[in-house]
Amino acid sequence: MKLSKFYVCLDFRALIAYGATEPSVAAAVPPCPPLSQPTTMVASKKTKKTHESINNRLALVMKSGKYTLGYKTVLKSLRSSKGKLIIIANNCPPLRKSEIEYYAMLCKVGVHHYNGNNVDLGTACGKYFRVCCLSIIEPGDSDIIKSMPGDH
Amino acid sequence: MVKFLKPNKAVIVLQGRYAGRKAVIVKSFDEGTRDRPYGHCLVAGIKKYPSKVIRKDSAKKTAKKSRVKCFVKLVNYQHLMPTRYTLDVDLKDAISVDALQTKDKKVAACKATKARLEERFKTGKNRWFFTKLRF
Repeated sequence: MKLSKFYVCLDFRALIAYGATEPSVAAAVPPCPPLSQPTTMVASKKTKKTHESINNRLALVMKSGKYTLGYKTVLKSLRSSKGKLIIIANNCPPLRKSEIEYYAMLCKVGVHHYNGNNVDLGTACGKYFRVCCLSIIEPGDSDIIKSMPGDH
Repeated sequence: MVKFLKPNKAVIVLQGRYAGRKAVIVKSFDEGTRDRPYGHCLVAGIKKYPSKVIRKDSAKKTAKKSRVKCFVKLVNYQHLMPTRYTLDVDLKDAISVDALQTKDKKVAACKATKARLEERFKTGKNRWFFTKLRF
């Protein structure tokens, strides 16, 4: 069967589950955190105020900081350990979402699941196109990195 | 913010002839070189995984089943999937970039890694690395 990244990445979910039995995992790498918790219950509690504050912070980053938009550049920024915070839209395909989270886990970088789809995230970035995932390289004047990563 | 594409990291090759094979990073070139102006690394991987060895097997059969066929390759970072596993095998003296220049040096490098990986397999450690990825 032709290997596509799809099938390989299907199995890296097994990598995450498999891990408990692997004896020689390097001690420096932390155990994989649980995959993203369903945010349905939290979303109802999450008020409009916090959602707006994320948008405000994101707007400030767009104006004063450095960022990259899009899956390929997000992975590049993670590989070169330049990314400081990753934001993923809620309609990101689950395999891609898991892959970005896995890279972020290796990097020890926070991932924020944006409460909106790629259209909303693109609008929040002030762009006229859809943005599924973005990586903040330098926050500029914004405090988004200090205030956000509590959220997985 | 932590670099993870470092030597001894276990990765999975995603593209090319060796797609789906597990490999270990021997040397990484984050900035790239003149010939390859992108991030890439030298990996040593398994071309043919060792078969399953059972208790019933005779010594001769065990030896035959534990054989590992290796490859050495320079791969772009984009064509690798990093994992959280590491493989602490000292391959730096056996493999270097100039080993890939000529065929006989490459064969010698592969033979050296084959020996190291086979002895690691026989100790029973790093079992994840020596099992075939099912896809």
